[in-house]
Amino acid sequence: MSLVELALRVFIVDDELPARNRLRDLLHDCSEQLPLDIVGEAGNGQEALDRLLETPADVVLLDIRMPQMDGIELAQHLNKLPKPPVIIFTTAFDAYAIRAFELHAVDYLLKPIRLKRLFEALTRAREAVPMQTEVLRDLLPEPRKFLSIHERGKIHLVPVEQVLFLRAELKYVTVRTAESEYLLEESLFALEKEFATRFVRIHRNCLVAKEAIEGFEKGGEEGEGSGWMVRLKGADELLAISRRQQHIVKEFG
Amino acid sequence: MNKARSIKQNAPPDALPNFRNLGVTLRILLISNGLALLQALLQANGWADMPLHMMQIYTLLTPILLSSLLLLWAMQPWLNRLAYWHGALAVNALVIMLTLFIYYFGGELYRPPGRADVWFDAVRYTLLSIMASAILLIYFRWRSRVLSRALHEARLQVLRARIRPHFLFNTINAVLSIVRAQPRQAETALQDMSDLFRMAMADMQDFVPLRQEIELGRQYIALEQLRMGERLFVEWQIQDVPDDALIPPLLLQPLLENAVYHGIEPLPQGGSITVALHCSGDELRIRVENPCPARDAAPHSGNRMALQNIRERLALLFDVEARYQVESGKNFYRVEITLPYMKEKAV
Repeated sequence: MSLVELALRVFIVDDELPARNRLRDLLHDCSEQLPLDIVGEAGNGQEALDRLLETPADVVLLDIRMPQMDGIELAQHLNKLPKPPVIIFTTAFDAYAIRAFELHAVDYLLKPIRLKRLFEALTRAREAVPMQTEVLRDLLPEPRKFLSIHERGKIHLVPVEQVLFLRAELKYVTVRTAESEYLLEESLFALEKEFATRFVRIHRNCLVAKEAIEGFEKGGEEGEGSGWMVRLKGADELLAISRRQQHIVKEFG
Repeated sequence: MNKARSIKQNAPPDALPNFRNLGVTLRILLISNGLALLQALLQANGWADMPLHMMQIYTLLTPILLSSLLLLWAMQPWLNRLAYWHGALAVNALVIMLTLFIYYFGGELYRPPGRADVWFDAVRYTLLSIMASAILLIYFRWRSRVLSRALHEARLQVLRARIRPHFLFNTINAVLSIVRAQPRQAETALQDMSDLFRMAMADMQDFVPLRQEIELGRQYIALEQLRMGERLFVEWQIQDVPDDALIPPLLLQPLLENAVYHGIEPLPQGGSITVALHCSGDELRIRVENPCPARDAAPHSGNRMALQNIRERLALLFDVEARYQVESGKNFYRVEITLPYMKEKAV
């Protein structure tokens, strides 16, 4: 390691331009005492993931309330980056999140942000390690709105509401939307638990979106399974229902 | 409660009901008819007797009641200027005069030939009229006291519900962000903010000029635009709105706030809010329409309180003469408020 302290690479995520500008100003003020580099900024989740893959950062200042995707959820997806950054949340007012942060000793800044507080948080961040994804899940008890998928050196966000079915295959879970198919490195069991209201299990290895169920057909191979198949809106193939899950034919039929 | 008292020491003085209000008229009709029914029940000896007694009572009651309502409607501005007890006496005097007048000129309708006790009847009907109007006046006095207490509560609630912390801190943050680069814009923003808060913290009146409320709405939108930039677009459609119109304060702004918070903020590309104000005849209509993205987050509790508060205040101030309607479709949400058009001079 060199004797000269490396500049702290900071990245800003906030949907409001004035809020980003304010942080830039404050970071600029901090840089007199703390060597730092503003490596970029983003107004939404996908943009943040794209930019951070290109130019990695040590610290991400992340707004909690943003349209489309909550900051806490984005933090979970940021953890999939090759070198996950340390995250400092920023918020104007969010009683629930603040209680959760206190509980997990997560660093956060209240808007309007004070220079002194920002300085302290950045100093602490030098030694901090990225938060565990499990902790972040605890902070946001509701299911995620997106699944983040590694694909050809990019992290792609797939809206959960577009997913027709999830099927476990050896090491991965296949995520199927009307347009395409992705591979996800998560366990089907955990996904079933997280998205219990949205998906229903039809087979040991398959969850389908309740909304996408169009109908049921008798068919498929005799022998294994119940003989019932699910037809989904937007997907060509039929999915087999196992004998144990046969009751869903009645529930959704 | 203690706090409530410290803000406004004196209870409002008693006042006669507004005889031009539909709700008041309906209540008078309902109670008078109830009293008539009671009287018939007391007089009748059996079921067969009831219709006859009812008929007798109504032949006298109906003309008195209708002419009283009509005259009170006409005399409302004059009655308004009197002290409460003078007004109450005037109402009683009016009813007595009408009773005697109708009884006298009703001729054989009320005095069948052969009926000797004409004097007894005259005194009896006068006394019954006095009793009925006294009961009504006492009822309205009681009601206005209960209402004014409720209204007072509702006003305090406005203060409590008014300032949404999310808006306050985000706006301060936005102003801070432009202080260095655009000090002039920051000045305007702070002035808008102080107007907004002055209005919110003012000792609440029942009514303010509509144009003031519109100005406040515009200032609020300017502050939100500072934060959201081009994501927020507002179209104002103000048609035939007279300059002297009055409305309850902080009626429009919470509606706008609701539209911004639920309609525009969740949309990454933003959207447009339509605010339409128009006056037709003696009605004033306020309509706020915004896009309605799929809502899975629970509505903000402070905000719901503000909307609930608007409904409550409208009911307390206008009774059945104001309407609050919500219409929502797949991608829009529309609130329409209809309230009587009031002029500055009349209040």
